[in-house]
Amino acid sequence: MYRKVAVAAIIAGSLFLSCGMGLAHHSVAANFDGSKAMDVTGKVKAIEIRNPHSQITLEVPNPQGGVKEFYVEWSDKNALLRRSVPVNKIKVGDTVTINVSPSKRLPNLGYFRTATLPDGTILRDCGFAAFREGIVKGKSGCEENAR
Amino acid sequence: MKNFVILAVMIAIAVPAYAAVGKHAELDGVWILLGTNIEKPQLTPEGEKKRAAYDYQKDDPDFQCKPASVTRVMHTPSPPIQVRQHQDYVEVNYEFMDVRRRVPLKKGLAAKDAPYASPRYPHLGKSAAQYDGETLVIETVGQRAGVLDTLGVPGLYQSDQMRTVEKFNPNGDRMQVSVTHYDPVYFIQPFTVTYNYVRLPGGKIEKWDCKPEEATFERFAK
Repeated sequence: MYRKVAVAAIIAGSLFLSCGMGLAHHSVAANFDGSKAMDVTGKVKAIEIRNPHSQITLEVPNPQGGVKEFYVEWSDKNALLRRSVPVNKIKVGDTVTINVSPSKRLPNLGYFRTATLPDGTILRDCGFAAFREGIVKGKSGCEENAR
Repeated sequence: MKNFVILAVMIAIAVPAYAAVGKHAELDGVWILLGTNIEKPQLTPEGEKKRAAYDYQKDDPDFQCKPASVTRVMHTPSPPIQVRQHQDYVEVNYEFMDVRRRVPLKKGLAAKDAPYASPRYPHLGKSAAQYDGETLVIETVGQRAGVLDTLGVPGLYQSDQMRTVEKFNPNGDRMQVSVTHYDPVYFIQPFTVTYNYVRLPGGKIEKWDCKPEEATFERFAK
Protein backbone atom coordinates (compact mmCIF):
# COMPACT_ATOMS: atom_id res chain seq x y z
CA MET A 1 0.00 0.00 0.00
CA TYR A 2 2.74 2.41 1.08
CA ARG A 3 4.67 1.55 -2.06
CA LYS A 4 1.68 2.36 -4.31
CA VAL A 5 1.07 5.66 -2.56
CA ALA A 6 4.75 6.52 -2.92
CA VAL A 7 4.76 5.70 -6.64
CA ALA A 8 1.60 7.77 -7.13
CA ALA A 9 3.16 10.70 -5.29
CA ILE A 10 6.31 10.51 -7.40
CA ILE A 11 4.30 10.43 -10.63
CA ALA A 12 2.03 13.28 -9.54
CA GLY A 13 4.99 15.37 -8.43
CA SER A 14 6.97 14.86 -11.57
CA LEU A 15 3.90 15.63 -13.71
CA PHE A 16 3.42 18.86 -11.83
CA LEU A 17 7.02 19.84 -12.28
CA SER A 18 7.53 18.73 -15.82
CA CYS A 19 4.28 18.83 -17.72
CA GLY A 20 5.19 19.67 -21.28
CA MET A 21 8.87 20.25 -20.62
CA GLY A 22 10.02 17.49 -22.90
CA LEU A 23 7.27 18.12 -25.40
CA ALA A 24 8.33 21.73 -25.75
CA HIS A 25 11.49 20.48 -27.43
CA HIS A 26 9.63 18.75 -30.23
CA SER A 27 11.25 19.40 -33.59
CA VAL A 28 8.03 21.15 -34.66
CA ALA A 29 8.71 23.79 -32.01
CA ALA A 30 12.33 24.01 -33.15
CA ASN A 31 11.43 24.53 -36.78
CA PHE A 32 8.21 26.55 -36.70
CA ASP A 33 7.20 29.75 -34.93
CA GLY A 34 4.08 28.74 -33.04
CA SER A 35 3.54 32.31 -31.83
CA LYS A 36 2.79 33.48 -35.38
CA ALA A 37 0.07 32.60 -37.83
CA MET A 38 -0.41 33.40 -41.51
CA ASP A 39 -2.92 32.49 -44.21
CA VAL A 40 -1.78 30.84 -47.41
CA THR A 41 -4.30 30.46 -50.22
CA GLY A 42 -3.62 28.17 -53.11
CA LYS A 43 -4.65 25.15 -55.13
CA VAL A 44 -3.92 21.78 -53.54
CA LYS A 45 -1.32 20.10 -55.72
CA ALA A 46 -0.72 17.13 -53.42
CA ILE A 47 -1.72 15.87 -50.00
CA GLU A 48 0.50 13.20 -48.50
CA ILE A 49 -0.68 11.78 -45.20
CA ARG A 50 2.34 9.88 -43.96
CA ASN A 51 4.96 9.41 -41.25
CA PRO A 52 6.94 11.05 -39.77
CA HIS A 53 5.11 14.19 -40.98
CA SER A 54 2.29 14.73 -43.41
CA GLN A 55 2.58 17.31 -46.15
CA ILE A 56 0.22 19.41 -48.24
CA THR A 57 1.67 21.07 -51.33
CA LEU A 58 -0.11 24.24 -52.43
CA GLU A 59 0.35 26.14 -55.67
CA VAL A 60 0.08 29.79 -54.77
CA PRO A 61 0.08 32.72 -57.22
CA ASN A 62 3.48 34.27 -57.65
CA PRO A 63 3.47 38.09 -57.80
CA GLN A 64 6.04 37.84 -60.59
CA GLY A 65 3.73 35.58 -62.54
CA GLY A 66 2.93 31.92 -62.56
CA VAL A 67 2.70 29.93 -59.36
CA LYS A 68 5.12 28.82 -56.67
CA GLU A 69 4.87 25.91 -54.29
CA PHE A 70 4.19 26.31 -50.60
CA TYR A 71 4.56 23.31 -48.29
CA VAL A 72 2.39 22.71 -45.26
CA GLU A 73 3.87 20.35 -42.70
CA TRP A 74 1.43 18.45 -40.47
CA SER A 75 1.31 15.69 -37.90
CA ASP A 76 2.24 12.11 -38.63
CA LYS A 77 -0.35 9.93 -40.33
CA ASN A 78 -0.93 7.71 -37.32
CA ALA A 79 -1.62 10.66 -35.04
CA LEU A 80 -4.06 12.24 -37.52
CA LEU A 81 -5.96 8.98 -37.79
CA ARG A 82 -5.94 8.52 -34.02
CA ARG A 83 -7.34 12.03 -33.63
CA SER A 84 -10.03 11.32 -36.26
CA VAL A 85 -9.01 14.33 -38.35
CA PRO A 86 -11.10 14.19 -41.57
CA VAL A 87 -8.11 14.69 -43.83
CA ASN A 88 -10.00 13.40 -46.86
CA LYS A 89 -11.95 16.69 -46.93
CA ILE A 90 -8.86 18.31 -48.39
CA LYS A 91 -8.85 17.34 -52.04
CA VAL A 92 -6.30 17.73 -54.79
CA GLY A 93 -7.38 20.51 -57.16
CA ASP A 94 -9.41 22.43 -54.56
CA THR A 95 -8.49 25.99 -53.69
CA VAL A 96 -8.11 26.26 -49.94
CA THR A 97 -6.77 28.71 -47.39
CA ILE A 98 -4.50 27.13 -44.84
CA ASN A 99 -3.55 28.96 -41.68
CA VAL A 100 0.00 28.01 -40.72
CA SER A 101 2.74 28.74 -38.24
CA PRO A 102 5.62 29.91 -40.43
CA SER A 103 8.91 28.06 -40.66
CA LYS A 104 11.86 29.63 -38.89
CA ARG A 105 14.13 28.67 -41.78
CA LEU A 106 12.27 28.47 -45.06
CA PRO A 107 9.91 31.05 -46.59
CA ASN A 108 7.86 28.44 -48.47
CA LEU A 109 7.02 26.27 -45.45
CA GLY A 110 4.54 26.40 -42.58
CA TYR A 111 2.94 24.12 -40.02
CA PHE A 112 -0.78 23.36 -40.23
CA ARG A 113 -3.21 25.15 -37.92
CA THR A 114 -6.56 25.16 -39.76
CA ALA A 115 -7.82 24.88 -43.33
CA THR A 116 -10.73 26.76 -44.87
CA LEU A 117 -12.28 24.52 -47.49
CA PRO A 118 -14.02 25.63 -50.74
CA ASP A 119 -17.46 25.49 -49.09
CA GLY A 120 -16.29 27.77 -46.29
CA THR A 121 -16.11 25.10 -43.60
CA ILE A 122 -13.05 25.12 -41.42
CA LEU A 123 -11.12 21.91 -40.90
CA ARG A 124 -9.50 21.88 -37.50
CA ASP A 125 -7.09 19.58 -35.79
CA CYS A 126 -7.15 19.72 -32.02
CA GLY A 127 -3.52 18.57 -31.91
CA PHE A 128 -1.73 16.07 -29.73
CA ALA A 129 -1.92 18.05 -26.49
CA ALA A 130 -5.73 18.24 -26.61
CA PHE A 131 -5.93 14.60 -27.65
CA ARG A 132 -3.82 13.63 -24.66
CA GLU A 133 -5.95 15.76 -22.32
CA GLY A 134 -9.04 14.03 -23.66
CA ILE A 135 -7.55 10.62 -22.88
CA VAL A 136 -6.65 11.74 -19.36
CA LYS A 137 -10.25 12.86 -18.85
CA GLY A 138 -11.51 9.49 -20.00
CA LYS A 139 -12.73 10.64 -23.41
CA SER A 140 -11.81 9.12 -26.75
CA GLY A 141 -9.47 12.00 -27.59
CA CYS A 142 -10.41 14.81 -29.97
CA GLU A 143 -14.12 14.31 -30.35
CA GLU A 144 -14.56 17.66 -32.12
CA ASN A 145 -12.27 16.53 -34.95
CA ALA A 146 -14.78 13.94 -36.09
CA ARG A 147 -17.63 16.44 -36.49
CA MET B 1 -0.69 -39.05 1.87
CA LYS B 2 -2.31 -39.18 -1.57
CA ASN B 3 -4.38 -36.09 -0.79
CA PHE B 4 -1.28 -34.27 0.37
CA VAL B 5 0.50 -35.00 -2.88
CA ILE B 6 -2.48 -33.79 -4.91
CA LEU B 7 -2.65 -30.61 -2.83
CA ALA B 8 1.08 -30.03 -3.23
CA VAL B 9 0.82 -30.44 -7.01
CA MET B 10 -2.10 -28.01 -7.14
CA ILE B 11 -0.20 -25.42 -5.13
CA ALA B 12 2.89 -25.91 -7.29
CA ILE B 13 0.81 -25.16 -10.40
CA ALA B 14 -1.28 -22.35 -8.94
CA VAL B 15 1.34 -20.28 -7.12
CA PRO B 16 3.60 -19.45 -10.10
CA ALA B 17 0.54 -18.65 -12.23
CA TYR B 18 -0.82 -16.33 -9.55
CA ALA B 19 2.56 -14.70 -9.10
CA ALA B 20 2.88 -14.10 -12.83
CA VAL B 21 -0.53 -12.48 -13.03
CA GLY B 22 0.14 -10.39 -9.96
CA LYS B 23 3.39 -9.09 -11.35
CA HIS B 24 2.29 -8.49 -14.88
CA ALA B 25 -1.21 -7.09 -14.53
CA GLU B 26 -0.54 -3.35 -14.57
CA LEU B 27 2.13 -2.80 -17.23
CA ASP B 28 0.58 -4.51 -20.21
CA GLY B 29 -1.07 -2.15 -22.63
CA VAL B 30 -0.56 0.75 -24.99
CA TRP B 31 0.58 4.05 -23.50
CA ILE B 32 0.89 7.63 -24.68
CA LEU B 33 3.26 10.21 -23.34
CA LEU B 34 2.00 12.82 -20.89
CA GLY B 35 5.27 14.59 -20.28
CA THR B 36 8.89 14.18 -19.36
CA ASN B 37 11.22 15.28 -16.64
CA ILE B 38 14.77 15.71 -17.88
CA GLU B 39 17.66 16.14 -15.49
CA LYS B 40 20.30 18.64 -16.43
CA PRO B 41 23.06 16.48 -17.90
CA GLN B 42 26.48 16.86 -16.34
CA LEU B 43 28.77 16.36 -19.31
CA THR B 44 32.45 15.61 -19.54
CA PRO B 45 34.54 18.03 -21.62
CA GLU B 46 34.24 15.56 -24.49
CA GLY B 47 30.47 15.50 -24.06
CA GLU B 48 30.31 19.31 -24.09
CA LYS B 49 32.47 19.39 -27.19
CA LYS B 50 30.27 16.93 -29.04
CA ARG B 51 27.11 18.76 -28.01
CA ALA B 52 28.50 22.10 -29.20
CA ALA B 53 29.38 20.59 -32.57
CA TYR B 54 25.99 18.91 -33.03
CA ASP B 55 24.16 20.14 -36.13
CA TYR B 56 20.50 19.16 -36.01
CA GLN B 57 20.15 19.59 -39.75
CA LYS B 58 22.90 17.09 -40.50
CA ASP B 59 23.47 14.87 -37.49
CA ASP B 60 19.95 13.79 -36.57
CA PRO B 61 19.54 10.07 -37.35
CA ASP B 62 15.79 10.70 -37.72
CA PHE B 63 16.50 11.93 -41.22
CA GLN B 64 17.73 8.46 -42.12
CA CYS B 65 14.70 6.94 -40.37
CA LYS B 66 17.05 5.49 -37.79
CA PRO B 67 16.14 5.58 -34.09
CA ALA B 68 19.07 7.21 -32.31
CA SER B 69 18.32 5.52 -28.99
CA VAL B 70 15.43 4.28 -26.88
CA THR B 71 15.68 7.57 -24.99
CA ARG B 72 15.19 9.50 -28.22
CA VAL B 73 12.37 7.24 -29.39
CA MET B 74 10.46 7.80 -26.16
CA HIS B 75 10.77 11.58 -26.45
CA THR B 76 8.55 11.62 -29.54
CA PRO B 77 5.22 12.71 -28.10
CA SER B 78 2.47 11.28 -30.28
CA PRO B 79 3.45 7.71 -31.24
CA PRO B 80 2.54 5.38 -28.35
CA ILE B 81 4.51 2.55 -26.81
CA GLN B 82 3.30 -0.90 -25.87
CA VAL B 83 4.34 -3.27 -23.09
CA ARG B 84 3.54 -6.97 -23.35
CA GLN B 85 4.79 -9.25 -20.64
CA HIS B 86 5.27 -12.96 -21.14
CA GLN B 87 6.47 -15.70 -18.86
CA ASP B 88 10.12 -15.49 -19.89
CA TYR B 89 10.41 -12.29 -21.89
CA VAL B 90 8.89 -8.84 -22.22
CA GLU B 91 8.11 -6.98 -25.42
CA VAL B 92 8.45 -3.24 -25.51
CA ASN B 93 7.17 -1.96 -28.82
CA TYR B 94 7.43 1.62 -30.00
CA GLU B 95 5.37 2.96 -32.88
CA PHE B 96 8.05 5.55 -33.69
CA MET B 97 10.45 4.09 -36.26
CA ASP B 98 8.87 0.66 -35.83
CA VAL B 99 11.16 -0.27 -32.93
CA ARG B 100 10.36 -3.68 -31.48
CA ARG B 101 12.30 -4.94 -28.48
CA ARG B 102 12.15 -8.44 -27.05
CA VAL B 103 13.93 -8.58 -23.73
CA PRO B 104 14.54 -11.85 -21.88
CA LEU B 105 13.23 -12.12 -18.32
CA LYS B 106 15.72 -14.33 -16.61
CA LYS B 107 17.02 -13.84 -13.13
CA GLY B 108 20.77 -13.50 -13.09
CA LEU B 109 21.12 -12.96 -16.84
CA ALA B 110 23.62 -10.17 -17.52
CA ALA B 111 22.74 -7.75 -20.31
CA LYS B 112 26.08 -8.44 -21.99
CA ASP B 113 25.09 -12.09 -22.34
CA ALA B 114 21.62 -11.32 -23.68
CA PRO B 115 20.76 -11.19 -27.38
CA TYR B 116 20.26 -7.91 -29.20
CA ALA B 117 16.83 -6.76 -28.12
CA SER B 118 15.87 -5.36 -31.51
CA PRO B 119 17.24 -7.43 -34.40
CA ARG B 120 16.25 -4.68 -36.84
CA TYR B 121 18.18 -2.09 -34.83
CA PRO B 122 21.11 -3.87 -33.16
CA HIS B 123 22.69 -0.51 -32.32
CA LEU B 124 20.09 -0.25 -29.54
CA GLY B 125 22.05 -2.88 -27.65
CA LYS B 126 21.62 -6.05 -25.62
CA SER B 127 19.05 -6.02 -22.86
CA ALA B 128 18.02 -8.16 -19.90
CA ALA B 129 14.97 -7.67 -17.70
CA GLN B 130 13.89 -8.60 -14.22
CA TYR B 131 11.37 -7.48 -11.63
CA ASP B 132 12.09 -5.52 -8.50
CA GLY B 133 8.76 -5.80 -6.71
CA GLU B 134 6.24 -4.24 -9.08
CA THR B 135 8.93 -2.47 -11.08
CA LEU B 136 10.15 -3.91 -14.35
CA VAL B 137 13.86 -3.19 -14.68
CA ILE B 138 15.66 -3.44 -18.04
CA GLU B 139 19.42 -3.12 -18.23
CA THR B 140 21.06 -2.48 -21.59
CA VAL B 141 24.67 -2.50 -22.78
CA GLY B 142 26.34 -2.79 -26.16
CA GLN B 143 24.76 0.30 -27.62
CA ARG B 144 26.63 1.72 -30.57
CA ALA B 145 28.48 5.00 -30.13
CA GLY B 146 26.67 7.95 -31.67
CA VAL B 147 23.87 10.40 -31.08
CA LEU B 148 21.88 9.72 -27.92
CA ASP B 149 19.26 12.42 -28.09
CA THR B 150 18.02 14.90 -30.65
CA LEU B 151 14.80 16.04 -29.06
CA GLY B 152 14.74 16.16 -25.25
CA VAL B 153 18.30 17.46 -25.02
CA PRO B 154 19.45 17.81 -28.63
CA GLY B 155 23.09 16.96 -29.18
CA LEU B 156 23.72 14.46 -26.42
CA TYR B 157 26.08 11.69 -27.46
CA GLN B 158 26.65 8.17 -26.17
CA SER B 159 29.73 5.98 -26.24
CA ASP B 160 29.81 2.23 -26.69
CA GLN B 161 30.56 2.02 -22.96
CA MET B 162 27.15 3.40 -22.02
CA ARG B 163 24.90 1.31 -19.81
CA THR B 164 21.26 2.20 -19.30
CA VAL B 165 18.77 1.11 -16.66
CA GLU B 166 15.09 1.52 -17.47
CA LYS B 167 12.52 1.23 -14.69
CA PHE B 168 8.85 0.75 -15.55
CA ASN B 169 6.58 1.67 -12.65
CA PRO B 170 2.87 0.96 -13.07
CA ASN B 171 0.16 2.88 -11.26
CA GLY B 172 -3.25 1.90 -12.58
CA ASP B 173 -3.81 3.80 -15.82
CA ARG B 174 -0.54 5.69 -15.39
CA MET B 175 2.97 4.45 -15.91
CA GLN B 176 6.29 6.08 -15.21
CA VAL B 177 9.43 5.01 -17.02
CA SER B 178 12.81 6.31 -15.92
CA VAL B 179 15.91 5.81 -18.02
CA THR B 180 19.26 6.33 -16.31
CA HIS B 181 22.35 6.60 -18.50
CA TYR B 182 25.78 5.66 -17.18
CA ASP B 183 28.49 6.69 -19.61
CA PRO B 184 32.00 7.48 -18.36
CA VAL B 185 32.97 9.01 -21.70
CA TYR B 186 30.26 11.67 -21.95
CA PHE B 187 28.61 11.98 -18.52
CA ILE B 188 30.26 13.02 -15.27
CA GLN B 189 27.37 11.50 -13.34
CA PRO B 190 24.38 9.35 -14.25
CA PHE B 191 21.80 11.17 -16.34
CA THR B 192 18.12 10.33 -15.86
CA VAL B 193 15.09 11.09 -17.99
CA THR B 194 11.65 10.27 -16.61
CA TYR B 195 8.66 9.73 -18.88
CA ASN B 196 5.07 9.77 -17.68
CA TYR B 197 2.44 7.87 -19.61
CA VAL B 198 -1.31 7.39 -19.59
CA ARG B 199 -2.94 4.23 -20.84
CA LEU B 200 -4.55 4.55 -24.29
CA PRO B 201 -7.75 2.50 -24.10
CA GLY B 202 -8.15 0.30 -27.15
CA GLY B 203 -4.90 1.63 -28.51
CA LYS B 204 -2.61 -0.29 -30.79
CA ILE B 205 0.79 0.17 -32.32
CA GLU B 206 0.52 1.08 -35.98
CA LYS B 207 3.17 0.71 -38.63
CA TRP B 208 5.44 3.77 -38.90
CA ASP B 209 7.05 2.96 -42.24
CA CYS B 210 9.44 5.92 -42.33
CA LYS B 211 11.14 6.70 -45.63
CA PRO B 212 14.30 8.85 -45.57
CA GLU B 213 13.28 10.89 -48.60
CA GLU B 214 10.11 11.87 -46.75
CA ALA B 215 11.78 12.53 -43.40
CA THR B 216 14.32 15.23 -44.17
CA PHE B 217 13.54 18.92 -44.26
CA GLU B 218 15.77 19.15 -47.31
CA ARG B 219 12.85 17.99 -49.41
CA PHE B 220 11.48 21.54 -49.12
CA ALA B 221 14.59 23.16 -50.56
CA LYS B 222 13.65 22.58 -54.19
